[in-house]
Amino acid sequence: MVQYLPILLLLALVVAFAGGSVAASRLLGPKRPTGAKEGPYESGIVPRYRLAARFPVRFYLVAMIFIIFDIEVIFLYPWAVMYTQLGVFGLAEMAAFAVVVFIAFAYLVSNGALSWGPRQGRGGRAPVQLARSTTATVRRVPRPVELIQGKAPLPLGDHGLEPGRQPEPLPAGANQQAPSAQA
Amino acid sequence: MGGDPLFAHGLSLAVWLILLGKVVAVFVIVLVSVLFMVMYERKAVAWLGVRYGPNRAGPNGWLQSLADGTKLLFKEAFTPRTADKWVYKLAPYLMLVPIMIAFSIVPMGGEITIAHHTTYVQLADPPWGILFLLMASGIAVYGVMLAGWASGSKYPLLGSVRASAQLISYEAVLGLTTATVVMVTGNASGFGDALHTHAIVAAQSGHLAFLHWNFIHTAFVSFILFTIAITAEMTRPPFDLVEAEEELSGGYNLEYSSIDFAWFYLAEYAALVTNSAILVTLWFGGPNGPTVFGHSIGPFWFAVKVLVVLYLYVWVRATLPRLRYDQLMDLGWKRLIPFALAWLMIVAGFQVTNNVSGSGFGHWLAQKAWGFVAIGAAIVLAVLFLRAVEVGGGASEVETAQQDRLAPDGREVARRGGTP
Repeated sequence: MVQYLPILLLLALVVAFAGGSVAASRLLGPKRPTGAKEGPYESGIVPRYRLAARFPVRFYLVAMIFIIFDIEVIFLYPWAVMYTQLGVFGLAEMAAFAVVVFIAFAYLVSNGALSWGPRQGRGGRAPVQLARSTTATVRRVPRPVELIQGKAPLPLGDHGLEPGRQPEPLPAGANQQAPSAQA
Repeated sequence: MGGDPLFAHGLSLAVWLILLGKVVAVFVIVLVSVLFMVMYERKAVAWLGVRYGPNRAGPNGWLQSLADGTKLLFKEAFTPRTADKWVYKLAPYLMLVPIMIAFSIVPMGGEITIAHHTTYVQLADPPWGILFLLMASGIAVYGVMLAGWASGSKYPLLGSVRASAQLISYEAVLGLTTATVVMVTGNASGFGDALHTHAIVAAQSGHLAFLHWNFIHTAFVSFILFTIAITAEMTRPPFDLVEAEEELSGGYNLEYSSIDFAWFYLAEYAALVTNSAILVTLWFGGPNGPTVFGHSIGPFWFAVKVLVVLYLYVWVRATLPRLRYDQLMDLGWKRLIPFALAWLMIVAGFQVTNNVSGSGFGHWLAQKAWGFVAIGAAIVLAVLFLRAVEVGGGASEVETAQQDRLAPDGREVARRGGTP
């Protein structure tokens, strides 16, 4: 056990150095906190939303698949230390274990569990379709004149009105640029 | 069994003094090489880009990193309102401490005798040896993850989630390739010693000089995989999307200021130095090299090899562009991990019956038979795996092209640039 002593001493030294420097920095540095300074970074504007509590499930998948491989590595090391003593028997046992884990891994890969690119699996739809070009989509967006005159509904439900209700027509002269039916 | 002979006769006062001297020496070596490396990298990248680089602080600017550190010490340290205070303050230590103590297992020379006490030129040679490297990089993941999460801010969280996934993806490759070295060492030095870094270096010495080094012993493949994995593990370019400035404006350490930020910086470069030293230990024979007039100059060869590896990292940084995230994950999971696993089994197959004695072609075949069996099995499994990647990784080109020609309502439209 005495072989671990130098590492413990170095650990104590590094922790003391790090803690001492932090303490020195707190003593030496100025303390002028302001609201803007202590806000979370948001490219210079005031943040409007809370921090998202969720992120893509793909990261969890990566973590779980990693655990499988980590356990495999843990089992590999004792064998790697004394594989010449275990001989062909040990090699066959470890190969059987590795192949079983590997086939399970190949199954996961074939299910697209580790595909990060835009196209996901056979028959899956790409989030960005080349077919959605200007010729395919431009006619669905109503033109501003129709919007102002209330002829067409807004394309998105995000205008703060209940569904089906049309926006109020603008007062006369509010939009000099737009050609109107009366002009 | 191995271990530092310093402790063979109990802990006397002289042993304690030698021990403390070694601890302080290793600490100073790591700190000074980090300060040097920060500066050297900026200089070398500047030279590669035909610029001057920093040239104001000290002679030719060589004290620049010291000036930066001093400046950060005097800066205001503030914590974001949204932060989890305890974890926020803990994270820099989790980054810095494991990577700095990981240097203790690196052999920098052979043996040295001080006042009748013989000791290794290496801080410690514990029984689990090289597993310490895996431990250090495993704990560093917590530092990155908790730093980003505890900041309570958007960009650090994104950066830390990215970073954690990247680090754990490449950690498996690291473990598999290091296991190859352990196997080769065990074959040379015998039962039970194979995890000692001192034994790993000793197994690479011999009268054929560099032909005994592990990167030749394992036929380059494990070495290349290990180098890629450890580069990703350090989040060095081209795997540095953890701190992609354009997307994340700094990454997981964005909300840190003052000396806390300096710790992340220090930890990054301490990892660079330590991992380069471990790379030299594992693959390039550590301090092994020619003697001068019968005197062993291990520390000199060690320093030369580490400096060459460090320069290669700077060179790579100045040369290669950053990977995209899906390329990073595909490289790690679909190329490196299967390859590392297959190569481990092939090396095991070639070495497992090495003790069959005799000469002639028949005996050679009896020695190597399992290696060829392993190669055959690896090829079969590779075909299976390539099919799995094809099925899971994306639609085939034909299907994609058909999909692209169809508008959302099913009618066929002209592709951009094609004839109608």
